Amino acid sequence: MTTITIHINEKEYQVAPGKTILEVCRENDIEILTMCHLKGIMDVGACRLCLVEIEGVNRLLSACTTKVGANMIIRTDTERIKRYQRITTELFFAERNHVCSVCVANGKCELQQLGYKVGLDHIRYPFLYPQCEVDSSHPWYVMDHNRCIMCTRCVRVCNEVEGAHNWDVMNRGYQVRVISDFNTPWGESITCTSCGKCLHACPTGAIWPKAIVQGQLNKKPEIIEELMEKRAMKL
Amino acid sequence: MNRQELTNLRSLAIDKQQKYKHKICVCCGASCISSGAEAVLKKMQDEIKARGMDQEVEVIPTGCMGPCNQGPLVKHMPDNTIYQKITEENIAQIIQSQLIDKKPIEDILLFADSREKPFVNANEDPFFKKQLKIALKDCGELNPESIDDYLVHDGYQALSKVLFQQSPEEVIAEIKQSRLRGRGGAGYPTGLKWETVYKHVNDHKYVICNGDEGDPGAFMDRSVLEGNPHRVLEGMTIAGYAVGANKGYAYIRGEYPLAIKRFELAIKQARKLGVLGDHILGTDFNFDVEVRIGAGAFVCGEETALIASIEGKRGTPKPRPPFPAESGLWGKPTLINNVETMASIVPIINLGGEWYSDIGTPKSAGTKVFALAGKINYSGLIEVPMGTTLRQIVYEIGGGIQGDAPFKAAQTGGPSGGCIPAAHLDVRMDYEALVNLGSIMGSGGLIIMDDSSDMVDVARFFMEFCMDESCGKCVPCRVGTKMMHDLLQKICDNKANSNDLQRLEELAIYVKETSLCGLGGSAPNPLLSTLRHFREEYDQRISKPVVNSY
Ligand SMILES: Cc1cc2nc3c(=O)[nH]c(=O)nc-3n(C[C@H](O)[C@H](O)[C@H](O)COP(=O)(O)O)c2cc1C
Ligand code: SF4
Ligand code: SF4
Ligand code: FES
Repeated sequence: MTTITIHINEKEYQVAPGKTILEVCRENDIEILTMCHLKGIMDVGACRLCLVEIEGVNRLLSACTTKVGANMIIRTDTERIKRYQRITTELFFAERNHVCSVCVANGKCELQQLGYKVGLDHIRYPFLYPQCEVDSSHPWYVMDHNRCIMCTRCVRVCNEVEGAHNWDVMNRGYQVRVISDFNTPWGESITCTSCGKCLHACPTGAIWPKAIVQGQLNKKPEIIEELMEKRAMKL
Repeated sequence: MNRQELTNLRSLAIDKQQKYKHKICVCCGASCISSGAEAVLKKMQDEIKARGMDQEVEVIPTGCMGPCNQGPLVKHMPDNTIYQKITEENIAQIIQSQLIDKKPIEDILLFADSREKPFVNANEDPFFKKQLKIALKDCGELNPESIDDYLVHDGYQALSKVLFQQSPEEVIAEIKQSRLRGRGGAGYPTGLKWETVYKHVNDHKYVICNGDEGDPGAFMDRSVLEGNPHRVLEGMTIAGYAVGANKGYAYIRGEYPLAIKRFELAIKQARKLGVLGDHILGTDFNFDVEVRIGAGAFVCGEETALIASIEGKRGTPKPRPPFPAESGLWGKPTLINNVETMASIVPIINLGGEWYSDIGTPKSAGTKVFALAGKINYSGLIEVPMGTTLRQIVYEIGGGIQGDAPFKAAQTGGPSGGCIPAAHLDVRMDYEALVNLGSIMGSGGLIIMDDSSDMVDVARFFMEFCMDESCGKCVPCRVGTKMMHDLLQKICDNKANSNDLQRLEELAIYVKETSLCGLGGSAPNPLLSTLRHFREEYDQRISKPVVNSY
């Protein structure tokens, strides 16, 4: 197999063309922070945590959506990137109402872990405290928009893996919301199959099964990738 | 229809027009219509008919003539006399004096109420004299609903020329030689873009004309689409031939019903004539165009969002690469160009790339259309060679600032641009010069501000626009514009301290560098440029920090 040569953080790598920068970094244990990325579904480049610097490119590019190219010189660890990761994390926390101590996902939340990773000790921006709905109309599950970070992993999993397309996005700007069908209560959805994949895909405590209390949520986001691999094998 | 038949048809149309001694053009651009042009047109048509003059006087509606705040406008050809602020009461007088007695009516001539001596031939008025109309050339002189009139104005000659005399490579070489750059905002070299799409081998390729025009106050593309739709259609067809596409989409925003109507009519007429559809002018080249109507989201003007919208999806941008030239509409190589870019193709083919490249500045060839607005005496639609100074635009074309107030700043590029302060009035307006001043050319919005403008509030206004129009997909733009807006509001309310300003500046750079698409990427521009040129207005409203919370 032909390979191409790239440099990441001043080290040389021989890699297969066609892979994304994120894939290559993960294979080589180079840390890249991600949030909207989930193995098994399409990448959208929305959270901007995975931005990297590429020599000769005047913009920062998202590692999850950018393919490696021959002789690319990539930096993942500059001061600028770290500073921006911290601001992004702060904005995530300031946007909606994240109260970890009472959350079902406490201890298992990817957002919380992100906060630890970037060394977040306080947030410099005012909290927006939006009025968000908690939709508990579904017989088994709850959707709490207060904890949603709009990564759209649930939307993509439902569409691409389950094929139901119950979830979608409405509104613009900071008023965007994930919606069920055409903005009907989840319990009244005619497309939801109650498969529960969105629960596992969600990085936070926004979607959870009823009858679970603080810190008890058990998520397996990796099952999405496993499912897709098994399907591919069957072919 | 073949090439010879097109020539014959054109001769017929010319003969028919030459029968008329006079042509009365009633401007039916958006602004004139809103001040009553349609009633004027109807009255003029009725009156000419009633007097039995309809064999020698042709009365037509046209697209925008330019001096929009003087409307409704009526122009007499061949004298080139323009009358302003016309109502139904003026019609009889115009017919009697201009057409029968052959005497111009001084007190309703264009700019009669503001110039000491208004001009009988409008082309001699500085408003027009300093302009060079290429993209807008026949706008305001031809009937946009008549393909015959377009043929008289050399319509479809360029298409005929490329189909019979030039290979796609030669067309692309011509466009490259012209040094035309995209007029949609970023100024990407058009020839290079065409070549990239041409080089991607695929059975299906697409051409898209971007007529979304969401900048507040902008109406350049609207005027071209309403005033000369065939010109854009012909440009798209030539583009299709050059890049190897058989299908085109004109994406026009829903707020422009007249543009949509006229463009759809143009498509119908062109199909009927055989200059659109299968076997164009008897050749093997097939190309058809459909109109897609945008729902009015600013972000849908961004190319990847626009493509998603045509595909029937939510109009949100996608990270590039891949660029549309490689993977665009339905994953196929796609050429996407702005309306004004497309409208510049026909003259370049007709007159040559070299001719076009000689106009303008070394790095920015040709002309640029601006929507001139704000505290200026003569606002409206203008087209000037690249490199025209801001001073010429404001004082010679625009007739100076209202009430002779001092010029304070000009905002270019709308919510994605920045402001140019008085110290730089002599800047030669082209892509590079504006970027050097911290602004951008953008699509051509040009708002003139006098000394009563509050620059912090200007920044807040544009930030509010970006905050509302952010698609909400990526974090920096979705949350960052909201945070920046709130901080700007706090400064406007005199409640901010220097920590707030520091945070605002840090956020601005962050949002600019990390956003997914150009909306977020340029949303901080008005803020950054007012900070650069008018920092004292921020400082005046800021108190010292109470506690340092860093
Ligand atoms: C937020 C945003 C809005 C845009 N709106 C428009 C628009 O209304 N019309 C337009 O032609 N280009 C618009 N653009 C630029 C397009 O993405 C694209 O660059 C352009 O249509 C390419 O055509 P050109 O090369 O002829 O300029 C916009 C870009 C952004 C980021
Ligand atoms: S509910 Fe969860 S998975 Fe869905 S968008 Fe919100 S945070 Fe992401
Ligand atoms: S920069 Fe703004 S408009 Fe563009 S993708 Fe991000 S949120 Fe959407
Ligand atoms: S993981 Fe790449 S942008 Fe979110």
